Amino acid sequence: MVEFMKRALELASEALSAQEVPVGCVFVINSEIIAESRNSVNATHNPTRHAEINCIDQVIDYCKTNNIDYSMCFKNVTVYVTVEPCIMCASALSNLKIKEVVYGCANDRFGGKTVLDISNFYEYNYNLTGNLMATEAMALLKQFYKGANPNAPESKAKKEKV
Amino acid sequence: MSETREPPYKKVKIAETIDKFLQQIMLSKKNLQAIVSDELIKPVPFTKVYVGNVKNVKELSKIITILNEKIPIKELQHLKRAWKKEVLLCPVRYLNSMTQESIQEYLEHKVSELKDSFEYFKVMSLPSLPPRLKKQHIDYSKVWSCNFHPNEYLERLCGSDFFPVAELMKHRCYMGVAFETARYYLSEKNPDLQLSDILLRDINATVVVDPSICSIVAISFDNRECHPIQHSAMLAIDNVAKTQKGGAWNTSTDREYPPLPGIDNNLVLYLKNKFPNAKFGARNYVTKEVLDENRMSASDSPYLCTGYYVYMIREPCIMCSMGLVHARANRVFFCLSNNNQGALISKTKLHCVPSLNHRFEVFTEFL
Ligand SMILES: [Zn+2]
Ligand SMILES: [Zn+2]
Repeated sequence: MVEFMKRALELASEALSAQEVPVGCVFVINSEIIAESRNSVNATHNPTRHAEINCIDQVIDYCKTNNIDYSMCFKNVTVYVTVEPCIMCASALSNLKIKEVVYGCANDRFGGKTVLDISNFYEYNYNLTGNLMATEAMALLKQFYKGANPNAPESKAKKEKV
Repeated sequence: MSETREPPYKKVKIAETIDKFLQQIMLSKKNLQAIVSDELIKPVPFTKVYVGNVKNVKELSKIITILNEKIPIKELQHLKRAWKKEVLLCPVRYLNSMTQESIQEYLEHKVSELKDSFEYFKVMSLPSLPPRLKKQHIDYSKVWSCNFHPNEYLERLCGSDFFPVAELMKHRCYMGVAFETARYYLSEKNPDLQLSDILLRDINATVVVDPSICSIVAISFDNRECHPIQHSAMLAIDNVAKTQKGGAWNTSTDREYPPLPGIDNNLVLYLKNKFPNAKFGARNYVTKEVLDENRMSASDSPYLCTGYYVYMIREPCIMCSMGLVHARANRVFFCLSNNNQGALISKTKLHCVPSLNHRFEVFTEFL
């Protein structure tokens, strides 16, 4: 477990170096990483390109290329992500009926549990646990917010979080 | 308190053909209705408080001063401390229920100087939230005196004639564009398309408009059957990114995209034919560096969906609605409700969650 979160944290640091909000994520099936990514919102100018969404895309591309039914694939996935998935990502993961999510620190701005518990709206809910290497995940976020988001216009920069 | 004013989702008579339906959408003069937070339309929760009837009215202002100092009630700032001869002492829950403390004991303990000031005590139920609309203020004032700051914009937003007719017709027209988009894509596979094929299938179409130049910036049609997160709002957000030198998904006609990225150019021709007055294309995107270099302000360039209006044939799901929050959309309009997945009225009102840093307005009732 810890090794997967360590990998997610590496990806988050990579995001930080690229001046992205430092969130990293790996998708694991049977102790094997099948997708890994990090936030790429600023690079794509698309505010939905969170680490989890990028991983979902990787899995779908892989399944399409190899003629695998992606729904069979997602249901065995455990997601390791450094920050609690936001409402959008949590809904996407719920829709895909993934097995489990393990996160680092809570997301008190956008969290799909902390801010709005989306499990109330879905029949299927994955298993959710948090607080794995939370201090490390939080330290990266703090480092990012010490400098402002470079891509947001000045007036917006102060409001921009996770 | 008073009857609620949820948009009435009563059965509306719907036309039988796509053309008649579109006429109904685009020509009706019926105003749209904002979907506002429950606080504004549902009866507010009440909270139980102790009230004391003062013996000597001349002491009233002195009593209020002492109470404000010794028993401040932060959570009920909207309630005046006194009304006529009655004084709001404290919420019932302030008393120690373990020892079955009485209000007299509580006062003796907290403000002993007032222990003999009251004729009698009583428990009252008072609104636990401040009135935000005139109607609420009138209702609340029947039970207790409240502080109230009228907000004219909110009054209009909650009313039933928010949009002037000329503007209303624009919104209805853009909703028509969204339905024509759905019709265009669905008829590719099904030339004999019926209205029910559009209304009953779990698909969506999205049109993004920059109201500052009255122009359609991006259009998208659902691809969830091939890609489970390519709902039309997610695609629309990516298509907007493509107008700003970004984008993540390789969608059909990508390389050169005058005037709209991410969609079939023939769709634009089809729409231009149906809507000869519609404008297409985004304002020129200027990078942060160029903005800084030329001392331009942030508003000289589009940024994500800031200021944009988003028109969708169906209420977006939770994922898409949150995507639109991330994208900082300014207003979302939808026609059909989405009972299983909708996040703007059916399952929740995501745009009313107080802790989210960005919020958009939502309008519906095109039918
Ligand atoms: Zn997310
Ligand atoms: Zn959706």
